[in-house]
Amino acid sequence: MTAPAQTADTRTESAFVSRLKALQFQEYALVIVVIALFVVGAILKPDTFPTWANVRNMLTQASVVGVLAMGMTFVIATAGIDLSVGSMVAAAGMFAGVLIGDTGTSSLLFIVGAIAFGTLLGTVNATSIAFGRVVPFIATLAMFSIGRGIALLFNHKLPVSLLDLNGGSFGDPGTFSLLWFGTGRILGIPVSVYVFLAITIAGWMLLNRTRYGRYVVAVGGNREAARIAGVPVRRIIFSVYVLSGLLAGIATVLLCARLGSASPVSGNLYELDAIGAVVIGGTSLAGGRATIVGTFLGVLTFALIFSLMTQLDLSTEIQQVTKGAIVLGAVLLQRPEARY
Amino acid sequence: MAADHGPKQHKARYDMSLKRLLISIAAAALLAIGVAACGGSTKTVTTTAPTAAPTSGNSSGKTVHIIASVPPTDHGWLGAISKDAKAQAKQYKDVKFELMQAADADSQAQQIQQAIARKPDALVVLPQDGAALTPVARQAEKAGIPVINIDRLFTKPDAATATVLGDNYQIGVLAADYIAGQLKCQGNVVEIQGLAGISVTTDRSKGFRDELKSKCPNGGIKIVASQPGDFNPDTGLKVMENILQAQKKIDAVYTHDDDMAQGVVQAIRNAGRDKDMFLTGVGGSQDAMKQIEEGGLYRATFLYNPNMAATAVNMARLVALDKGFAELVPSEVPRQMVVPAAVVTKDNVSKYEKYAFN
Repeated sequence: MTAPAQTADTRTESAFVSRLKALQFQEYALVIVVIALFVVGAILKPDTFPTWANVRNMLTQASVVGVLAMGMTFVIATAGIDLSVGSMVAAAGMFAGVLIGDTGTSSLLFIVGAIAFGTLLGTVNATSIAFGRVVPFIATLAMFSIGRGIALLFNHKLPVSLLDLNGGSFGDPGTFSLLWFGTGRILGIPVSVYVFLAITIAGWMLLNRTRYGRYVVAVGGNREAARIAGVPVRRIIFSVYVLSGLLAGIATVLLCARLGSASPVSGNLYELDAIGAVVIGGTSLAGGRATIVGTFLGVLTFALIFSLMTQLDLSTEIQQVTKGAIVLGAVLLQRPEARY
Repeated sequence: MAADHGPKQHKARYDMSLKRLLISIAAAALLAIGVAACGGSTKTVTTTAPTAAPTSGNSSGKTVHIIASVPPTDHGWLGAISKDAKAQAKQYKDVKFELMQAADADSQAQQIQQAIARKPDALVVLPQDGAALTPVARQAEKAGIPVINIDRLFTKPDAATATVLGDNYQIGVLAADYIAGQLKCQGNVVEIQGLAGISVTTDRSKGFRDELKSKCPNGGIKIVASQPGDFNPDTGLKVMENILQAQKKIDAVYTHDDDMAQGVVQAIRNAGRDKDMFLTGVGGSQDAMKQIEEGGLYRATFLYNPNMAATAVNMARLVALDKGFAELVPSEVPRQMVVPAAVVTKDNVSKYEKYAFN
């Protein structure tokens, strides 16, 4: 029934132009959602919501899932998925916590340990997917379980306190100490926000301005065509899961720095927030299309929703329904071109 | 695909399967390490378990087979529940004890169904969700297997032979008494709840609200925010960070759990507002007791002792042996036992430290 209208469309403007418009509208759509949520917050909580302190708090909270979502964008661009990022966060934190030991005070050892262990777990995912040919959903579902399990094993299910790492005094943590990454500020902006923004910019450059980025999207778009065109498909797939693990390690540092401890139950279901942010940002779950800017806006959307609803003190059930409705509405708003 | 690539492909496939084999072996080795480490930790548990001799009825001719089913022990309190149950069972020569952990309500129901088929003498169940597991518990009772229910209640009376639980409502009441007393019925209170939708959370919340109303009829204490922290420190951290943004004046924070409270404490400290308010927990963890002793932000916790699991094992054994509590007349196992809650503050923390769990 709608076929004639579609052909009329394509006749009046070239496919390229209409696609460009759709793309622009998509990115604008999420900007509108972010602004609308902020305006709603400003109207309902005029004293506390539209303040620099609150924006700073939201960005800090967004940084952990934000870093995970950047890695997830690359994974999903290859038509893959990484269900294990939340478990890797817990495992990397516990590994590094046990590594520094009861009397250790080295922030550097913790940070390097967490990032190294995250990368290691990511490499295990990468190996089983790229070389073991296990589908990403299953391989990372296995790591979802294994990661959580080893997080619990490391210290007999107990959290590790990280408050005594060097420079660990509250309020004024020494530069480059662990707690500094959670609570320190430069020019009034939290350190974790710099880390998040730096990774976002690096991710944008990598995806949009390098051959590697084009390969990643090509692998997700059409694997066979990419292979014939000379893209090292297996190596690309391997690399995105390692990257996801590495970023899980960095997210661990940001989370533990704020929490002042490493907990085996932390990072629970972070993968869903990360995947959700990537997908509402406009990256296709089917692969072949990815946008870092979209992911960034998706992360902000989730952070705004969470912040707004807890500050309004809505009850859990209302929060869940509202969150679902906003996510659905955001996606409907930005996908007018998806027809069946 | 072409015929002349045949042998090469064959070799490739062989290589592939060799790789797969290697990967599988690596995975198996990893699992084995995991199991070994698990076993190791279990051993330390049993050696550190209290060695006090059980009072009476140490052994009887019959062997009692008890299967316990609990949620995953990834939380301090739940971990202590498993430890205490295992340790208690170890004290009886005539008890064959198995502990099963289930990740969610569905898999717990399946586990219990499988357990029923094996016809144990008694089941001890701490349900993930009391309502969801009521049907399968009734099924066990109908099959003649007595069920001992711990902590989270089933929703039908015929789903359990006996129940042992902490008094969650009373914990809310004690917390309200303590906070109202400290604030002299005047101030803003934040409540960080547990997991939404289970009776533990509802009762801890209702007891708190009811008691605040009756203790401070002037309405001087306002609950300015009440949000779930899912018994998880990092959720507690994030929720509290947001509440601190929205509420400029907070005098006290009532959290539903000591583990979760650690995240809430950190949010308050990070915001530099730890001098403006105080906080209470629930459970009685070592961390909480240590902080109560040091003084400062963490003022009190309300004991909710996991060793009720040991009591449940005792009850299961007695029911299976058709015996009862000697103190009851006639000697029987009570239908329901409520373990009293207690207030732990800086003044009496030394008395309770030996009951702390980690």
